[in-house]
Amino acid sequence: MTIDPSNPTSAKPIVLIVDDSPDVHRLLKARLRVEDLDVHSAEDGAAGLELARQIHPALILLDLDMPVMDGYEVLRTLKEDQATMNIPVIILSGLQNAQDKVTAFDLGAVDYVTKPFDIAELKVRVRSALRMQHLIQMLSQRAQIDGLSGLWNRRYFDTRWTEEVSRCTRHARPLSVAILDIDHFKSINDTYGHPAGDAVIQGMAKILQAACRQSDVACRYGGEEFVLIMTDTSPKDALVLCERVRTSLEGTNWPTHPDRRVTISIGVAGCAGACDATPDAWLHAADQNLYTAKKTGRNKIVCSELPTNTTGKLRAAG
Amino acid sequence: MANQNASSRGPILSEYANDADMAELVESFVAELPKRVEAIHSAVTQARGTDLKRLAHQLRGAAPGYGFPTIGAAAAALEDLMRQAPATAELSAFKSQIDELIDLCSRAAHR
Repeated sequence: MTIDPSNPTSAKPIVLIVDDSPDVHRLLKARLRVEDLDVHSAEDGAAGLELARQIHPALILLDLDMPVMDGYEVLRTLKEDQATMNIPVIILSGLQNAQDKVTAFDLGAVDYVTKPFDIAELKVRVRSALRMQHLIQMLSQRAQIDGLSGLWNRRYFDTRWTEEVSRCTRHARPLSVAILDIDHFKSINDTYGHPAGDAVIQGMAKILQAACRQSDVACRYGGEEFVLIMTDTSPKDALVLCERVRTSLEGTNWPTHPDRRVTISIGVAGCAGACDATPDAWLHAADQNLYTAKKTGRNKIVCSELPTNTTGKLRAAG
Repeated sequence: MANQNASSRGPILSEYANDADMAELVESFVAELPKRVEAIHSAVTQARGTDLKRLAHQLRGAAPGYGFPTIGAAAAALEDLMRQAPATAELSAFKSQIDELIDLCSRAAHR
């Protein structure tokens, strides 16, 4: 699941009804109209699973007794699939006995409503499930965001980077990564105090976000170090984007120290097509370039292109 | 149970007859009931027990939502009876429940 840290709350929650009776669809759509939801429906289990993967609902209302694929099987499949396992499911069923309820909860349902349902009761249960889902999402998102800069944190970067590298390898898509390190940051902190240093981190985060496209992933890697994943971006294009970040930071006026400019050194490693490099080796290459940039005068970018699909050219970072 | 005596057998109105939000839905549900009755008839005459059970199951779940709890209860009675009966049972064994369900469905009216 991808969450945009700048836009934590999306519009109307999407609710998916999976029930073989069109009467139930019509009834629920009419009854839930006042709840400001985006309601979709599927008339059998297979269609429901397909739709769940496509529209990523915030909640699924699932009937148990359906021909061909029953609700238990749908629930089991939902919970086995990474893409759908976190979607809460309320069972809407005519089956009243305790064993059915136990089985449903065991399989991961969050609630169980028996048919014929009381609409007022169903509404509050839907609301409660959506509220819980919203809180869980917010918590898991908070845990992935850096408090000072508002960017993704290192933990998020580590997972996301591994995913992007394997996507690049699988689909032979271009991919670039930049490691950015503010020059002489310690001296800014020491000279103007930590609040000034914090302001620089925040200012840098703003510049990064402004330079980023929707598909880029900007993270604070730690201290004064940032990383930027640029998907579908060749090293050549990555260089252009990073140059924009570099000049933008260089041109920034700082209220706490108007006479002191802040600059950044950037190491970029990218690949124009399929690449054999491991995530670690790739990052190591970018880090080496950052090191070179620092060594050779700072306030500059050093960029390299990784070999396309040729093994053994890169050593894993040790 | 929805077993009224013959003299009181007039039209059955939805509990939501005066609910503006529901008027259109109830109307379309009632308009489709004759089709369901027909489907029940043909399931019975062609001895398609699984279809009959499913029709009853769907009415059981939907009818109360449209304000017809008596139809829901009759459908539930039929479905439960069929579930308890051996798979080889003749559909004629459920005749009184089937008749009751068809009778209630035929009398449903939206206003």
